[in-house]
Amino acid sequence: MERTRPIVYGKGLRPLSIATVVAMAVSLSLVFFYAPLEAEQGFLQKIFYLHVPLAIVALCGFVLGGLLAIQHLRTRDPRWDMRSYVVIHMSLIFAVGTLITGSIWAKGSWGHWWVWSEPTLVSFLIVFLLYATYQPLRFAIEDPERQSRYASVFAITAGAFVPMNFIAVRLSTAYLHPRVLGSTSNLPGPMALTFVVSLAAISLLFATLCKYELTAKHTRAQIRALRRRLAGESAAAPPRARSAAPSLQHVTAMSARATGSSAP
Amino acid sequence: MLAAALAEVPALPLHTAGKYVAGAYIVLFALVLIYVAIMAIRLSRIERDLGELLSMSENAAPDGAPPSTAHAGSQDPERESAPA
Repeated sequence: MERTRPIVYGKGLRPLSIATVVAMAVSLSLVFFYAPLEAEQGFLQKIFYLHVPLAIVALCGFVLGGLLAIQHLRTRDPRWDMRSYVVIHMSLIFAVGTLITGSIWAKGSWGHWWVWSEPTLVSFLIVFLLYATYQPLRFAIEDPERQSRYASVFAITAGAFVPMNFIAVRLSTAYLHPRVLGSTSNLPGPMALTFVVSLAAISLLFATLCKYELTAKHTRAQIRALRRRLAGESAAAPPRARSAAPSLQHVTAMSARATGSSAP
Repeated sequence: MLAAALAEVPALPLHTAGKYVAGAYIVLFALVLIYVAIMAIRLSRIERDLGELLSMSENAAPDGAPPSTAHAGSQDPERESAPA
């Protein structure tokens, strides 16, 4: 008899949420009451403790989505597709935050909301627009199996594009865009500490929201499976409505079997 | 005590770039708030679905016997919401 470990995405969500809230509170305290004012930009530089971690986490999330998609193609396990989907979805939201906070900084520092001649801005916008097509791509494919396969291929290709794009822009441009990571060694201790704590806080926020989203999606899938079962249908029946989100029906069916087989 | 702590806190130079910095941090707060609101809507939908499932299971087992679904134990809402 097939035995599969039942999935509980919500496990550890509470301590992760508490850690995120504490880290965010510490980060904000350090940004506003500990880190010294930067000599050239003054108070406006405080935006970087938010903008740069958002950008780093968003870009790393896109790459992570590609790595999870590789795992999906290797194992054909829909759980990896779901993880890849949620990570890319969340990275897209963080990318929106990056673009908005970057524009606010640009307005305060350069006097313009957007500067088309700045390669870092435009390259990030290209990455964002590339990933903005991910969900429409998924939605356009009706068959769940093909949808997850094609989406994984897209996630891998786009995930490889992200670091190449980042490196190409850094190598090809004069350093017009403010560099925070490139000059970490030159940062004063309090600034470097504040930046690292901010990065940790934003990373924790990302992880918490991803876990929250995975738990919600899995719960919905379980409820749908239970509804079908109570209605007298097979729990592994094909979905009735088209959706961009991956289907977890096989997983909920396997989880149900595992829970049933392990019950006393 | 709070007043003493606040008196020790250095004043923020909000008059220079305060509106931009405040705007950036409000954006993050708004994004998280919107996300929490969406999740609250989803949670209420899940709660409604669970209520429907409960009534379906009661109709399926009119003699009061618990339904023999595989998830009945692991999906107990009271166990999920019980404090640690």
